[in-house]
Amino acid sequence: MIRYTLTRLALLLLGLLVASVLIFVTLRVLPGDIASLIAGVGSSTEQQDAIRERLGLDRPLPAQYLDWIGGLFRGDLGTSLLTGTSVVDELAQKAEVTVPLGILSLLIAVVISVPLGVLSAMRRGRADGTALSVGAQALAAVPVVWAGMMLVVVFAVWLGWLPAQGFPRAGWNDPWAALRSLILPALTIGIVEGAMLLRFVRSATLQAVGQDFVRTAAAKGLTRDQALIRHGLPVVGLSVITVLGLQVAGIIVGAVVIEQLFSLPGIGRMLVADVAARDLPKVQGELLALTGFVLIVGFVVDLLHRVIDPRQREAS
Amino acid sequence: MLRRTTLATAALLAAGLLALTACTGGGGETAPTSTGEPDPDASVAIRLVLEPGNLDIRETAGSALDQILVDNIYQGLVARTPEQDIVPALASDWTVSPDGLTYTFTLREGVTFHDGQPLTPQDVVWSLTTRRDTPGWRDSARLANVTSIAADGQDVSLTLSAPDSTLLWNLTGRAGIVLKEGDTVDYKTKANGTGPFVLSDWRQGDSIVFTRNDAYWGDPAAAAEVVFDYIPDNQAALNAALAGEVDVLTGFDANLQEQVEANGDFALELGQSTDKGTLAFNQTSGPLADKRVRQAIRQAIDHDAIIEALASGQTQYGPIPELDPGYEDLSDVAPYDPEAARELLAEADAEDLELTLTIPSFYSTTIPQILVSDLDEVGITLDVNSVDFTTWLTDVYTNKDYELSFVLHTEARDFENWADPDYYFTYDNPEVQDLYAQSLAATDEAEAADLLQQAGRLVAEDHAADWLYNGASVIAVGTNITGMPSINVNERLSIVEIAKSNG
Repeated sequence: MIRYTLTRLALLLLGLLVASVLIFVTLRVLPGDIASLIAGVGSSTEQQDAIRERLGLDRPLPAQYLDWIGGLFRGDLGTSLLTGTSVVDELAQKAEVTVPLGILSLLIAVVISVPLGVLSAMRRGRADGTALSVGAQALAAVPVVWAGMMLVVVFAVWLGWLPAQGFPRAGWNDPWAALRSLILPALTIGIVEGAMLLRFVRSATLQAVGQDFVRTAAAKGLTRDQALIRHGLPVVGLSVITVLGLQVAGIIVGAVVIEQLFSLPGIGRMLVADVAARDLPKVQGELLALTGFVLIVGFVVDLLHRVIDPRQREAS
Repeated sequence: MLRRTTLATAALLAAGLLALTACTGGGGETAPTSTGEPDPDASVAIRLVLEPGNLDIRETAGSALDQILVDNIYQGLVARTPEQDIVPALASDWTVSPDGLTYTFTLREGVTFHDGQPLTPQDVVWSLTTRRDTPGWRDSARLANVTSIAADGQDVSLTLSAPDSTLLWNLTGRAGIVLKEGDTVDYKTKANGTGPFVLSDWRQGDSIVFTRNDAYWGDPAAAAEVVFDYIPDNQAALNAALAGEVDVLTGFDANLQEQVEANGDFALELGQSTDKGTLAFNQTSGPLADKRVRQAIRQAIDHDAIIEALASGQTQYGPIPELDPGYEDLSDVAPYDPEAARELLAEADAEDLELTLTIPSFYSTTIPQILVSDLDEVGITLDVNSVDFTTWLTDVYTNKDYELSFVLHTEARDFENWADPDYYFTYDNPEVQDLYAQSLAATDEAEAADLLQQAGRLVAEDHAADWLYNGASVIAVGTNITGMPSINVNERLSIVEIAKSNG
C-alpha cells in the first residue's frame, strides 16, 4: 500500500510538472499581449515596449518559466500584471465562491442521482422506471446556460425567492445571503450533472443485479431488492466514487459558464477575464491550481478505491 | 454556449443612437419620473459592462476607467457636462490671453483630497508637469506644447508654445487630472482624489463601490452610495433589473426595450453618444488602396438597415459625430447604391474581390452579418476573422496587419487620428493634416470648428473609412431614480446628481 501510494504520488507530481510546461508554452502561443492592452488605443509602439520591459515580458521564455516554477516551490504563484496583487491571494478570495459552489453542485448531483438512479434500475421495465430514465436522458442533454436561465426566470424574476445574479458584498460574513446567492447556480450545475450521474448509477445498479454474489444472497432467502440494497449497493458506491472524481472536472467547466451567467465573482469568471486581458502570470496560476485540484482528486479517489475495495488490494 | 453568451453581451457595445430624441428631456438629465422624495441615505446600483483591469488612472488605458473615475473620484481644473460643455471644476474661473498662449486658472480654496490633505496650487503644477513629462502616463502628449506650468498664489498659469484650441477640452480628461504631490497610494487598487465620491470597495470581477464624500467642496452627492455592478451579459442584466437587484442599466440593448419596460419599473432612454462604429480600410496597398473600391464598399452598405437592426443610433457618413465640433451631414458623399458600387468595382477591375474583416469577438454578430450579406450583393466575399481584443490591439492596431477592421471608437473629439498617417487607419492626406493643424492653432472656437468641418468632408470624400453608425447611450432607468445622465455615458458617467426615492 505504501509503495503504491508513493508511486501514485510521484505520478501526480510528474503530471503537475508536465501540466505546468504545457500551460506555460500554450499561453505563449496566443496572439496579443497585455502591454498593448494597458497602453491601449492611442499608444505608440515605444510606450508598449516600455510597459513590456517594465513587466519583464521582454525576458527570455526559459528564464520566465524558471522564475515561475521557482516561486511555485515557495507557494508563490507570482503577481498579476494588471492589478499587481498576489495570484495566490486572488485565488483564495475567488475560491470562497467557487469551492462552495462546486461542493453544493456535487451534493445536489449526488442527492438527485443516487436514489433516483437506484430506483430507476429497480423499477426497470415499469412505467415509472422508464419515465425516470427518459427524464434523466432529456435533462442531461439540456445546455447548462438554458437551465440556468429557466431557473432564474422562475425563482428570481417571477417568484422573487432567490437572487438572479451576483454574490453579496459582505461575502460569507453574511452566510445566509451568500448561500442564497449560490442556490440557483448550484442547482443549475447540480441538475445537469446529476442527470448524467443518474444514468451511470442506473447502469451500475443493473450490473450489480446480475452479479453472482447478489444472486447468491437472493438465493439465501432475501428478496431481489433486499439483496441488491445490502450487497449490491456497496459495489455501486465504489464505482460512483470514481465517476464523481471525474465529475469534478465537469463541475469546474460548468462553473466557468455559470459564474458568467450569474455574475458570480469566482475563479471561472476571473479566468475568462484574465485570458482576455492576457494577464499570463494569473492565468498560469489559475490553470495550474485547477489542474492540480483535478489531479489531486484523482489521486484521492484512487487511494480510496484501494482502501475500500478488498479485491484491488489483493490484486497487488 | 458560453461564447454565444459573451457575444450577446457585447451587442450593447455595438448599440447606437435612436431617432427618439424626444425621449431625452432636453440635455443630459432625464426628466424626473418619480413622485417620491429622494432618500439621502439611498444606495443606487448601476449595471456597467466593461470592468477596468485596474484603477490606475495615470497609466492604464480604457474608457472603463474614465467612465467612473473622472469627475466622480478625480477632478481637473475644468470638467465637461454631458452636453459636452466645458465648465469650472477645481478652478473657479479661468482666462485665456488674446494670443491664445497663456491660460490662467484660479484655483478654488478649501479643497481637500479624500485622505484629508489640502489641495495646493503646487499639486496642480506637479500633476500637470508630471503628466506632460512622463510618456508612460496616459495622454501625456496632449500637454506636449505646454512650455511652462507655474503657480502664483491661487492662480495657476499654463504657457503654450503655440495656440491649442483643444487644450481646455483635453484638461477635462485624463491629461488634466490633479493628484496629490508625493502621494504613496497604490493607484492600481486605491484612489485619492478630490471628487464628490470616495472609492470604498472594489471586488474585482464583481463590483466597485463609491460612497459620498462628506468633505466635498461642491454640492454633495445626492445618494449616499453608488454600487457599480459589472454584469457583461445583457440577459443576466435584464434579469437583475426585473428581480430588483439593480436600479440603472447602462450599455443596454435597445432591442430588449419591451422586456425591460414590461413591469413598469424601468424606462428605456436613448441619449446621444460619440460612439462611432468605424469600418477601417487598410489603404496602404492591395485593392483598398484604390479609392473606387473603398467608395464601392461604402455604397454597398445599407446603413439604415444597421440602425434598424440595432434599434438605436443614427447614420454617420463622415468622421465627426453630431456631438462634436465640426459635424456636418455628409450623407450625400456615399449614399446606399449597390448598382453604383458594382459599376465602381468593374471600373477598378476589382470584381470577385475577397476581403477579410478583423473584428474583436465581444461585438455582436449583427454587424458582420449585415456586412457579409451587403458586400456579397456587389460581388465581394467577406471573410470574418473574429479575434479577442488583445489580439486586435497587436495585429490591427499596432502592426496594421489587416484589410478591413471594425471597432467602436467611443472617444469624443478624436479627429486627430485622421491627421496622423501612422495611426492604424493608414490614411495619409497632407491637406487634411494641414487643415487639422490650422484648427488646432485657431484661437476662435467657431473658426476651429469650421476648419475641422472642412477636413472632415475631405476624409469622407476620400472614403478613408466607412462609419457604419453613430451609437446611442442606451440605458434603462428605474422609475424611482432621478438625475441619471443619458448622453455619452459609456465615455463618462457623472453620478453626483443621481438620487433614489423609496416611492
